[in-house]
This record gives sequence, C-alpha cells and structure tokens, in this order.
Amino acid sequence: MTQPAEQIVDPSRGPEILRLRQLSKTFRVGFWATRVQAVRDVSAVMYQGESIGYLGPNGSGKTTSIKCMLALIQPSSGKIELFGRSPTDPLARARVGYLPESPYFYDYLTPVEVCEYVGKLYGLDARTRKQRTQELLGLVGLDQAAKRPLRGFSKGMLQRIGIAQSLMADPDLLIWDEPLSGLDPLGRKEVRELMIELRRQGKSLFFSSHVLTDIEALCDGVCILDRGVAVAQGRLADLLRRDALESEALLDLPADPQLEAGLRAELAKIPGLALQQLPTGVQAVLPTQAVPALIQALMQGGGQLRELSARRDSLEDLFMRKALQRSDGGQP
Amino acid sequence: MSQHVSQHGLKLSIGGPAAILARVAAIVGNTVREAGRAKLFYGLLGGALLLLAFSVVLSDLALVDQKARLVQSFGMAVIPLMCVGTAILLGAVLLHKEIDKKTLYAILPKPIRRSEFILGKLLGLSTLLLAELAVLTLCWWAVLVLRGGELTAPMLRGMGLQYVELLLVTSIALFFSALSRPVLSGVLTTGVFIAGRVTYVINDLLSATKGVFAEVPAMRALGKLLVAVVPDLGTFSVSDQILQGWEVPWTYVSAATLYGLSWAAVFAIGAVLLFERRDFT
Ligand SMILES: Nc1ncnc2c1ncn2[C@@H]1O[C@H](COP(=O)(O)OP(=O)(O)O)[C@@H](O)[C@H]1O
Ligand SMILES: [Mg+2]
Repeated sequence: MTQPAEQIVDPSRGPEILRLRQLSKTFRVGFWATRVQAVRDVSAVMYQGESIGYLGPNGSGKTTSIKCMLALIQPSSGKIELFGRSPTDPLARARVGYLPESPYFYDYLTPVEVCEYVGKLYGLDARTRKQRTQELLGLVGLDQAAKRPLRGFSKGMLQRIGIAQSLMADPDLLIWDEPLSGLDPLGRKEVRELMIELRRQGKSLFFSSHVLTDIEALCDGVCILDRGVAVAQGRLADLLRRDALESEALLDLPADPQLEAGLRAELAKIPGLALQQLPTGVQAVLPTQAVPALIQALMQGGGQLRELSARRDSLEDLFMRKALQRSDGGQP
Repeated sequence: MSQHVSQHGLKLSIGGPAAILARVAAIVGNTVREAGRAKLFYGLLGGALLLLAFSVVLSDLALVDQKARLVQSFGMAVIPLMCVGTAILLGAVLLHKEIDKKTLYAILPKPIRRSEFILGKLLGLSTLLLAELAVLTLCWWAVLVLRGGELTAPMLRGMGLQYVELLLVTSIALFFSALSRPVLSGVLTTGVFIAGRVTYVINDLLSATKGVFAEVPAMRALGKLLVAVVPDLGTFSVSDQILQGWEVPWTYVSAATLYGLSWAAVFAIGAVLLFERRDFT
C-alpha cells in the first residue's frame, strides 16, 4: 500500500535532496501527558527539480512533519536528511526557503526590512540584499506597500511577504506550508502561477495542502497523509493512471429475486469487481479488462447495462479510497 | 564549505566566525529595536528619572554638606535597581513574545543556530541596558553637579560593576524564560536576584557563632546550598565602600568582572541547552 521509498528510486532523476526515514512524532498533551501521534513512520524521498504535494486533511500531520524537516521540532523517532545533512545543520537549511503556515513577522517591520533581515540571516551581502528585496517585492506585487509596517496587512499580503522572504537566498528547495490557503481566488491563481514559474526555473518544491482540487497541475509527485500515516505516495501520473484502468458501470438487475441472486453470484466470479447500491441503481467498479465478462454475465443473467465509463480518479477519490481502506483494513 | 553559491549565483556566507557574527548582529539589531519599542522600557526609564528628581527634593531636607552625598548614594542604589527591573521584565517577555507571536517560526529555520539566536537576544538586551544605564548615569551626574557634588572615577567604576551585574541578571532571566512562562520566569529571576544580593549576609551569618544559620543544622545546610548555587551579587554593589572613600581599584574591578561574566556564561549556556531541546510546534 504505502510504497517504501527505496522502490521509487529512478536513476534518471536528479540528486536526492530530501529524505524522511520512518519519521514519527508523538506529542504529550495535558496533565496526564496523553500521547498524540501526529506523524507515524512516514518515509519519503524527493529529488532535485521535483515538485511534491504533501496532501491530507487538517490535522493529518503535515505541518508537524514539515517543522521536523526544518528542525523546529525534534522527531520522536526516525531521521530526516536535507541535502544529505541533518536539518539542524545551518548549511542544509541555507538551501531551503520556508513559508510557514499562515506566516507571521515582526509587525513593526516593513516588507523591505523583513527581506533585509532575512537576507542577513542567509549571509547575503548588502548589495545582493537590496537587489533581491526589490526584485522579490516586485515579484509578489508588494512594491506599493514596500515601506509600510506589516501591522494592518491582510492575510493575503502577509502570505506574499512570506513567499518573498522564502525566496530571498535563491534556495534550491522551497518548503511551503499551505501556500494556497487563506487566499482569494485571484491570489490563489497568482501563487499557482508563481509555483509553476519557479518549477520551470528548476526549483524543487515541497508544499502542503489540505485542499486536493486544483493542485494536480502543480506536482509531479504526491505524498498523501491520513491521520499521520502516508497512505499513498509516488508520481501522480502513476497513482492516477492505475485508476484510469478501472471502469464503472451502472446496472439494472432483474426484478425476480431468484434471477437477481443468480446474476449476483455470476458477477461475484468476475475478479476485481465490486458492487455498490446507489440511489440510481447498482454500480459496479471493475478492471477495464473485465468489461467483456461483465457484459456477458449481464446478457446471460437477464440484467442490463445502463452506463459504462472509464473511471478517472481525482486526487480526492484517491484519498477517500485510501482513507477508507485504512479504516476498514484493521489498521489502528 | 562555509560558503554556498546558489543556483543563480548568489553567495551565501554561512560558516566561519564572520558569518556567525553577522547573524548574531542581525538578531541583536532586531532585539534592540523590538525591546526599544516596549512601553515597559520607557515606563521604567521614566520611573527612574522621577526617582532621581525625587532625590533632589529629598536632598533639600539634608544638611548642607550632606546634599550631594544623599544624591550620590540614592543614585548608586536606585539606578541599578531600575535597570535590573528592565532586565528581569524584558528578559522574561522577549523570548516568549517571539514564540507567542510566532515570529520565531520564520527565523529559526534560517541558517542560524539556536545558540546564535540566544546570544543575539542576550547581547541585544545588554545593549539596551547599557543605553538605559548610560542615560540614567548622565542624568544622575547632572543632579549631582546641581547639588554641588561630582561624578568621580570610583563612582564610574562602581556603575561599571553594576553593569556586569546587569549582564548576569539578563542571562539569568533568559535562562528562566527558556525554561518557563513569563510570569514564573520573572518571579524566579527576581528570586535569584534577591538571593544573590543577600548571600553575603547569609555568608556572614554562617560564619557567626550564634543565630539560626550558625546553630540550626537544617538552616545551615540551606544557607550553604544557597551560597554555593547563587552568584554573590554583593560583589557588584560597592556604593557604601565608595562613600567611605574606597577607590575601587582596577584589580577588584577585573576580578569582579571575571566572576560576573563566568556566572553569566553558565546561565547563558544553560539557556542555550534548554532552548535547543525545545519543540516549536
Ligand atoms: N503542540 C502540539 N501538541 C499536541 N498535539 C499537537 C501539537 N501540534 C500538533 N498536534 C496534533 O498533531 C496532529 C497533526 O497536526 P498538524 O501537523 O498541524 O496537521 P496538519 O498540518 O496536517 O493540519 C493534530 O492532531 C494536532 O492536534
Ligand atoms: Mg498544517
């Protein structure tokens, strides 16, 4: 189910830049130190130039694992390698641009001052800092507000300054926590376009999102988290293609109970076929190659085929299926 | 190794003393700026100035040849206390504010060590306290001159020693604020400060032949423990001796400074160790 990281190594890919080895984080909360397992045994690997979506609903452990990657949190067990180093090593973090989830900065600073400060922390010289600040504030559309204190900035504007500061040192890897949340549709579109542009420039992108729609175009690969566990990962094309090989059919079964039972028994013999009662009829989901067998069974058993279509999974379907599998599959 | 060149040719200096210094300086700059915006700081500064003004009024009541003396001893006692108040309050609040307002989350992921961050906070606060002490000393000098006195070299050296005490109190405050929440860390720092100011008294009591500290074994143990684990802040308060004409020789100043800075280093290292183990969730 969860692909071990080792299996998706591909020699055509660039150098490895990020690896999670069985990352786990347990928090202890409250007086009784109740254990909350935020992240469980997540393994993943990312190569230079890739764009990875880290997906899952709220509370699934995305932010916690991202904070581990930046050494804000110590893993309870497991290991992280960032550019082959520990995240606690400043040289590893020098190549990363981090956008926190709903970013906060000193509200008495102006965007120019935030960029200056961040530039100093990255060890950039004064001239480079000035030049980058100007470029980046232009890029995120903050040049008008460049000299106003952040106090009174809208959430969207704070997100923009967050993005600008994350790009300050021209990092190889961008780790962005929920870059698209809290933005209006136009802002979302702009950030998406920026992400596509950064990818074109060869930046590696690791970003989280709890919204699964409209990010398919942004990532080569995904890692889907559900309650702290990576339930699916790999190249998006592989994950979704596999599901394009499935078909779904809407059936009419014979009204006679005996005939119906007979037909159901025949259908049950088709490998990989699953029946589900929908308000509109009975739905069958089956491997596309088994469609002839389905039609034959229907013809012989007195049933009818009302609709037949290739099953195109969306990320949401994929997630729902994986999450359901997990709940049914006896995993705690 | 210590330099990284980015994809588009930007040069990042990360390792090496110069790069570390530059990062610490950036934190110092921001800390001074942040603390310098605190209403608390100006409140305490204003309070100290009021007290100095009050000492002028008070000195009117004193005998003619005692006027300057009163201002002198009043200043030597009150100015350091007000600065200690600043150190304790800002020290308790500064770190916590960074966590509370989540500004830390954008800073620590940068190529900076947590120890550098703590050092920057410590030096930033120390810079601010130096400014506060200097402003107050200048005002005190003006008042002294007004009352027919003068600011002598021993008095200046005495104030210098008080600054060493301030550095120590600041690192104690940072230590406790890396450990706990603001109110508790403020209380703890104040506790250590008061204990430190009175250890010399306890020391005297321990070596006396009578009294609870000399006679009750439990109190004796407690007293000894206190003397051992709490820095003797009496070392830095020499105003009484100055009034009696002591010169505060440089040998004493350097020994006391070494003593104070060593203790400050102990607490600063403790603060770093605590801070490095913390999760910022
Ligand atoms: N400091 C904390 N103490 C206790 N539990 C926490 C803490 N931070 C996060 N959690 C829990 O860990 C889980 C994952 O949270 P998070 O990583 O923020 O998820 P996501 O970013 O995917 O929304 C949640 O159940 C959350 O309640
Ligand atoms: Mg999150």
